[in-house]
Amino acid sequence: MSASVRLDAVTQAFARRGSHRAALAELSLDIAAGELVAVVGPSGCGKSTLLDLIAGHARPATGSVTVGGVPVAGPGPQRMLVFQEHALFPWLTVQANVEFGLRSAGVAPDRRAATADEWIARVGLADAAHLHPHELSGGMRQRAALARAFALAPQVLLMDEPFSALDAPSRDRLHVELQDLWRETGTTIVFVTHNVREAVTLGDRVVVMSSGPGRVIAEVAVTLPRPRVVESGRVVDLAQHVRGLLDEADQMGISAPRHGRDGYVSI
Amino acid sequence: MIWWLASLAADALPGPGVTAAALADMAADGRLVSIVWRLAAFMGACFAIAVVLGVAGGLAIGMSRAGDRGLSPYLAALQGMPTSMWIPVAAIVLGTDVWSLGAVVTLGAVPAIMLGTRTAVRNVPPLLLRAGRTLGESGTSLVKRVVLPAALPGIMTGVELGWSIAFRCLVAGEIFSGALSGTGIGTVISRSRQTGDLTEMMATIIIVLAFTVLIDRLVFSRVQSRLRTRRGLVDAGLPH
Repeated sequence: MSASVRLDAVTQAFARRGSHRAALAELSLDIAAGELVAVVGPSGCGKSTLLDLIAGHARPATGSVTVGGVPVAGPGPQRMLVFQEHALFPWLTVQANVEFGLRSAGVAPDRRAATADEWIARVGLADAAHLHPHELSGGMRQRAALARAFALAPQVLLMDEPFSALDAPSRDRLHVELQDLWRETGTTIVFVTHNVREAVTLGDRVVVMSSGPGRVIAEVAVTLPRPRVVESGRVVDLAQHVRGLLDEADQMGISAPRHGRDGYVSI
Repeated sequence: MIWWLASLAADALPGPGVTAAALADMAADGRLVSIVWRLAAFMGACFAIAVVLGVAGGLAIGMSRAGDRGLSPYLAALQGMPTSMWIPVAAIVLGTDVWSLGAVVTLGAVPAIMLGTRTAVRNVPPLLLRAGRTLGESGTSLVKRVVLPAALPGIMTGVELGWSIAFRCLVAGEIFSGALSGTGIGTVISRSRQTGDLTEMMATIIIVLAFTVLIDRLVFSRVQSRLRTRRGLVDAGLPH
């Protein structure tokens, strides 16, 4: 199950003590059903705001957000958010965490258990189903969070830097697993990250954003064969091109020389 | 040991030996069981109502900013005030019977539970609320399935505090007006007052002490340790 996402001339501002700070300057974005789009940009460029708008946790100041042609009215299980922190419920086992959303959706107990079992096995946690989140490693927790999200068969999966708090080996493995899961389910995925190589590894398309206020400065199509890994030479080359685009916008005021491959710096 | 030395110094204070004999006496004629049983029933009923009222009220003000701003100062004032001050008031308004002391014991525990619940509810990580909403929960079922379990450790702290306040209210009530609670403690107090013999009183103190320790061991510390173990707040050598 998947749906297209369309943001049309969306703006968003944060009011704080009377002063308005623009978070998003008029932004339009079209995401096809089943597409895996990576959004990359420096911190504060409105990437997370973008996800909040699609998820329905926030409303745009102007413009419209539609998912599958239907305007977004509020949060719901059709547009599933996966957070940087795993956000698993600490008082529930992995099994109960994965079943949580199914129970909200009114799925019968036996079907609930079967679906949860299936997804827990698919992310490789079959032996850990009865454990509580604190008994898992960081990578396992994020896998459990993925199982919880995929179990609800969302139309759109919104991922907010889900792997940025993980160690490199776990992250590399999850990159491949996420590409597999995406291929099997065909879910539309919007993957937000500040890591350029991660964006190029995962995305069909990389949306490059810059801050102050947040706007899209470029879109880069990625046609490399999957599954991709961050170390692949072609990924690194393309990442450098994207890096260059970000540098042109020069958001962070960094002007360190970047010559050839060795000059690649991740902020 | 201290008790024994003190009983040597002060003539009126019965020593451990005499008290143990009195305890055995009370156990033999059923007074011990009767006091413990009536204590448990009275406190159980009052406290159950207090927990329901306190948690419900705490949830209500914890979830609404306006309600919190309006009510919390009064609650804090109520909690700071010794609740046993209500006993004479209740005795006159409601009459000197079981119900009046019951009301004081119940209402005495409510502010502490309410404040504990409110604080616990407001300290629920927003991330968990967002996760709950994104998974399709809202309204009362969000409260039931996310807010309450997330706030449970904090609520338990309020409940324990409420329990000790309720117990103080009970004993203050017994001292104030004799046998009105029906637990039998008041009868013992007024009897010792008249005869000047503290043996039975000391035995009753031991019974009450044992009762509170028992409740703490059997209920509160068990619940707390289960909550902590489940949430990974006990260092048990984690696998990573």
